[in-house]
Amino acid sequence: MPLVNNKVGDDCTASGDKALADGQALVDSLIKVVACYRHLASCVGGSTDNLQLRDELRQTREKAQKLAGDICNHLTTHLRDKSLPEGQRKEMELLWVAFSSSLELLHVDMCKVWNMSGIFSLADSSSLVHTGVEGGCSEVAARALSLPDMNEAETKTLPEGLESQERNTMELEINQIDRMIDDMEMKVNVLRWMVEPHGPQYADPLSSTDSASMALVPVDEEQQATGSQALCQRSHIFVLLLLFGVIFVAATLSVCVFLFS
Amino acid sequence: MTIKNALRDHGQRYRPRMACLKKAEKVLLEMQDPCTGVKSQPQRLVITIIPHAITGEDIIAWLADRFQVEAQEARSLGSMLVSLGYIYPLQDHKNLVIKPDASLYRFQTPYFWPTQQWPVEDTDYAIYLAKRNIRKKGMLELHEQEQYNHLHKWMNHKWDFIVMQAKEQYRAAKERKKPDRVVFDCQERAYWVVHRPPPGTVSAMDYGPERRTDPNADETQTPDDYERIMIFTQQSIMRPRVKSSVSIGALVKYCSTYSGHDPFLSKCLPSNPWLTDDTTFWALNMPNVEIPTKMRVERWTFSFKELLSDPRGRDDFRLFLKKEFSGENLAFWEGCEDLKWGTAVAMKEKAEHIYKTFLARGAPRWINIDGKTMEITVKGLKHPHRYVLDAAQTHIYMLMKKDSYGRYLKSPVFKETLKKAICPDEHRFNEVQLEQNARNRRPSLSPIIIRQQEQEQRAKMAASAPVDITQLCRFTTPVPHLAVYSGIPDPPSATASPSLPFLAHTPVCPSPISVALDSTSASERRLEASEGEGKTEAQAPDGGSLSKSRMALSLRRLLKRGCSPSAMFASLSPKCHTAATTSSRIQPITPEEPSHAPPRRIGK
Repeated sequence: MPLVNNKVGDDCTASGDKALADGQALVDSLIKVVACYRHLASCVGGSTDNLQLRDELRQTREKAQKLAGDICNHLTTHLRDKSLPEGQRKEMELLWVAFSSSLELLHVDMCKVWNMSGIFSLADSSSLVHTGVEGGCSEVAARALSLPDMNEAETKTLPEGLESQERNTMELEINQIDRMIDDMEMKVNVLRWMVEPHGPQYADPLSSTDSASMALVPVDEEQQATGSQALCQRSHIFVLLLLFGVIFVAATLSVCVFLFS
Repeated sequence: MTIKNALRDHGQRYRPRMACLKKAEKVLLEMQDPCTGVKSQPQRLVITIIPHAITGEDIIAWLADRFQVEAQEARSLGSMLVSLGYIYPLQDHKNLVIKPDASLYRFQTPYFWPTQQWPVEDTDYAIYLAKRNIRKKGMLELHEQEQYNHLHKWMNHKWDFIVMQAKEQYRAAKERKKPDRVVFDCQERAYWVVHRPPPGTVSAMDYGPERRTDPNADETQTPDDYERIMIFTQQSIMRPRVKSSVSIGALVKYCSTYSGHDPFLSKCLPSNPWLTDDTTFWALNMPNVEIPTKMRVERWTFSFKELLSDPRGRDDFRLFLKKEFSGENLAFWEGCEDLKWGTAVAMKEKAEHIYKTFLARGAPRWINIDGKTMEITVKGLKHPHRYVLDAAQTHIYMLMKKDSYGRYLKSPVFKETLKKAICPDEHRFNEVQLEQNARNRRPSLSPIIIRQQEQEQRAKMAASAPVDITQLCRFTTPVPHLAVYSGIPDPPSATASPSLPFLAHTPVCPSPISVALDSTSASERRLEASEGEGKTEAQAPDGGSLSKSRMALSLRRLLKRGCSPSAMFASLSPKCHTAATTSSRIQPITPEEPSHAPPRRIGK
């Protein structure tokens, strides 16, 4: 590292921060894409499995791989840079851990999809499992690809005969991810037990309206079973009574006013 | 820490007992057929309608029809499919069985099927729990909470990633339509009920240890394999061999001896507890029971090893030896066993204690082993380890086996035990009683308590250890100038001098031991210092006349020699055994032997 005067030092830290922010953004988007990919993968073999789903899977996969490649280069160069200050190095290592975990998840999902697409060929749609899913996952794919609307990204439907070709491509991609993970481990030595996370143990619950609607349906069955529905009904009745009481009071007051005026 | 290989091994973890998974998948696919498959109906929730729900009775009927089996068997087959996770119940999602009524089920999506290649990852579980927590705080059950904390500790380094991934998955799920969201939640929940079952439930996914190689794959032989085969066969050729007539004869003898005692091959009196749930058999055969059963006593006659390995038999033998005043042999043997199997921390003390009690010159419970073994042992005791007393222990064991054991079997103690032994009658339970026994099953004493009781007993025995008569004799007071582990350091003069006061005193106050000692040579005297005891009392009048002359002779010999004690032992012992015994190693000092002592000594 050459002689550092203040100006250069500031630049370095500034650029380091920028690199960190860049890396963070990239990793965040990779995590998002991997999450969406998982949702898409869960539909494979089910009742909504069709060419469009496979296409969406492919696009999401490509995006994920592109992101992965970018992050790999970015993080590798920065972590191999010995001049990185300690705080930034720690942050980079955190990003590194997040990146490698996302890659692993992606790898697993890709293997599963590859396997399942071998079993559930789209040609024979009678053997698709009736999973109860009806709508497609286009919105999820749109989120993954950061597009406002899936229609823009809709490509021509693949002809049937290219299914095997697609499988081969996927195999290549899986191997590529394999190699990337290997390379990562070889080039950069991150001691995982030294990495300390920032965040809390529990993720903060998101907005309550969402939770209410989300809680409604799946828990509803349990509520029916446990019989706490009675409680809900009681609370509903109480609210209704209160409402009627208020209306009644308002009505009497208005009548009084009318009579006395 | 993620185990990389687990994720990228492309299915190299094989679960051999899960061959049923592939077959279950085939059945599942058949069920999907729109014409011949299971009929589905829509499920009505509060506002939404979700299709593809199937009733339990439909599933069972389809299975019975497809496989041409009874309804009961179809039901268990259906339950197996549910417990493996291919079908999940919509109501009562934790109870993974098929109910033969209108309760609803749904097929699991292939992504969540339990196939061989994809091990269930803790990372995924952590993400799932985090997602549930996001949805509603405090929704996790107790065992899930514990798992969450545990995973947080283990996978701390990627916790940020897990929380972020959970949030992203949650947001991605919100992009989907409401009914699909519900279905996905149910699917995921069902998946985790199968693979992380709540505590106390039986999981169908218990498949034992995983294997690294596929047992069904073809094995290719590499040159390295052949080399190993060659080495193995060469080593097998070099092994020592036994004639098959001999080995088969031994096997036949063993089988015929033990067949009556085998609870599988013959009756178990009073009844086999595993079959009848009646624990009388175990109560009668407790290690420290007062009155043993006849079968048990019979076992003691098979071999010495049987006698020693049975705690009750050992007690009986100990009692017999106490009567014969040769209890130190068994005590020494037990001490050696304790040393061998005990903790490493206490080893040094134990070895020291054993040396002081049994091996040192003038020890209170001195055992009689030959000079060479004593030399080896004492030398080894300088640097004690677990097996330092092995040679001496083997010697004493063979001594007990060849001599005491035979006499024990003819002794009144054994005959008494045999007479008192009980032979319980066979239980004959009818169905009702068997059921009642099954209901009244109680857990037995905890092994911790049993171990405590054993330790208490051992402490009691050590406290009230048989006080051999020799302990009262001045001969057996520990000689102060002798350090522990002295080995062969003492100059001969030192050894001679202690003997002098001994010898000097004998004429003055003839204790029974001294009289007994008089009848033997000085070397024998040293060896028998603690051995004399009451058994030689009977010999007292016999050797009286010969004593003084022999004493003087031996003393002169001692002073002439001036060699080290152990060498002296070694040199003297063969001389002493010209007449009677064949092996110089064994010098059994038994009640009968002292009578032979005078004639033996004559021939020098």
